[in-house]
Amino acid sequence: MEKKPHTDHIYIEALLKNDSRILSKLYEKFSHKIVAYVRNNNGNADDAQDIIQETLVTIYHQAKEKNFILTCPFDAYFYLLCKRRWLNELKKRGTNRVTIIEDEASIKDEHKQEIEETELFEQQNQLFESKFKELGIKCQELLKATFKIKSMEEVAKFLGVTYGYARKKKSQCMGKLTQLVKNSNEFKQLKDF
Amino acid sequence: MEELRYNEFENYLKNELTEIEKTTFEEKLQSDADFKQEFEIYKALETSLSSKFENEENEQELRKTLTNLGNEYIKEEEVTKKKTKVISLFNYKKLMVAASIALLIGFFIFKNGNPVYSDFANHSNLELVVRGDSNETLLKAQEAFNAKNYKTAFAQLTVLEKEFPNDIEIQLYKAICLLELDKFPQADSIFNSIGEGNSALSTKATWYKALSLLKQEQFKACENTLKTIPESAEEYEQAKKLLKKL
Repeated sequence: MEKKPHTDHIYIEALLKNDSRILSKLYEKFSHKIVAYVRNNNGNADDAQDIIQETLVTIYHQAKEKNFILTCPFDAYFYLLCKRRWLNELKKRGTNRVTIIEDEASIKDEHKQEIEETELFEQQNQLFESKFKELGIKCQELLKATFKIKSMEEVAKFLGVTYGYARKKKSQCMGKLTQLVKNSNEFKQLKDF
Repeated sequence: MEELRYNEFENYLKNELTEIEKTTFEEKLQSDADFKQEFEIYKALETSLSSKFENEENEQELRKTLTNLGNEYIKEEEVTKKKTKVISLFNYKKLMVAASIALLIGFFIFKNGNPVYSDFANHSNLELVVRGDSNETLLKAQEAFNAKNYKTAFAQLTVLEKEFPNDIEIQLYKAICLLELDKFPQADSIFNSIGEGNSALSTKATWYKALSLLKQEQFKACENTLKTIPESAEEYEQAKKLLKKL
């Protein structure tokens, strides 16, 4: 089924096009609330800036890879994503002070679904990325080359190996990575598979 | 054995299997849960990593933009806080006055006959210029449009369209100018093409197409167009209101 984009989908389009005009509207309209939240919860403006930027980069990747369509207002969606990211960050920093727990009942269920989709997308990406880094340096280089260059012939040329070898190596490295992901603890928590 | 499996995944994803091999592969996906799970992971890794590395440069560019905007808006936040509050109160008052005038006018006009274009044509302000922007044309277009000087706005927007050929907002506002200047065929063709597209502004364009038909007093066509506006759209309430009057 084709989803109908919300008017606020312009912000997603702006991320894809790196459109600074619309993106500055986004900052103008939505950043204050997030800065205030972070400040009230053991953080400062710099923390808020990071949280906002990382959230936007995640949305950008989701839109690129999955053709993400925003069907709810950007405001609530974005605010909640940033908020949860900040709470995670606090957990990582080991801050145990009680934080303000706000009522989330005002968020509609269908919007929650979009928020969860984005979060799931990010968890999966983080898992893939961290397992990728566990691969040997040779595998990392080869895979990076395959995904950037696309044509296997050129990858082989670039790495100075034969085509057959490059191909065989690629599926080997990918197989290794598949195993790493499959056997990780984080993977068991991902609902997608 | 394992190695063979991944090689098979690769060949399947690259569509390099023969028809028979493909059928066998797909049957195995159905019957072997472990095989299927590994394939799903392999496939997700392939899409995710390829998207990540392909867009690495673009991501860096985007990060630069975001860092600049963050520095501009978040660092300045404290200073501008007061100002924003005053403005929004002012807007609120203006809105109240506008609403009560609209109510009064509405009271007299809606009593008899067909609805009129001007009752529904409340264009939201054009907000092209943002802080830190120094594009002269953007500023001129915006000022002219918001001052209802549609001829000038049209000229400026036409220039801008060349500069930002993919900006649908600019196209839409250009068409609104055309509508205000009674250049219906040109306006309608832009509303149509945006309305048929899949951008975030498509329903807004459909709403304007209906307004254009209203202005041309083609009430039946206007009605039909309004009916295509989905309930979830922001324009739905307005559309419903207009439908009632037709």
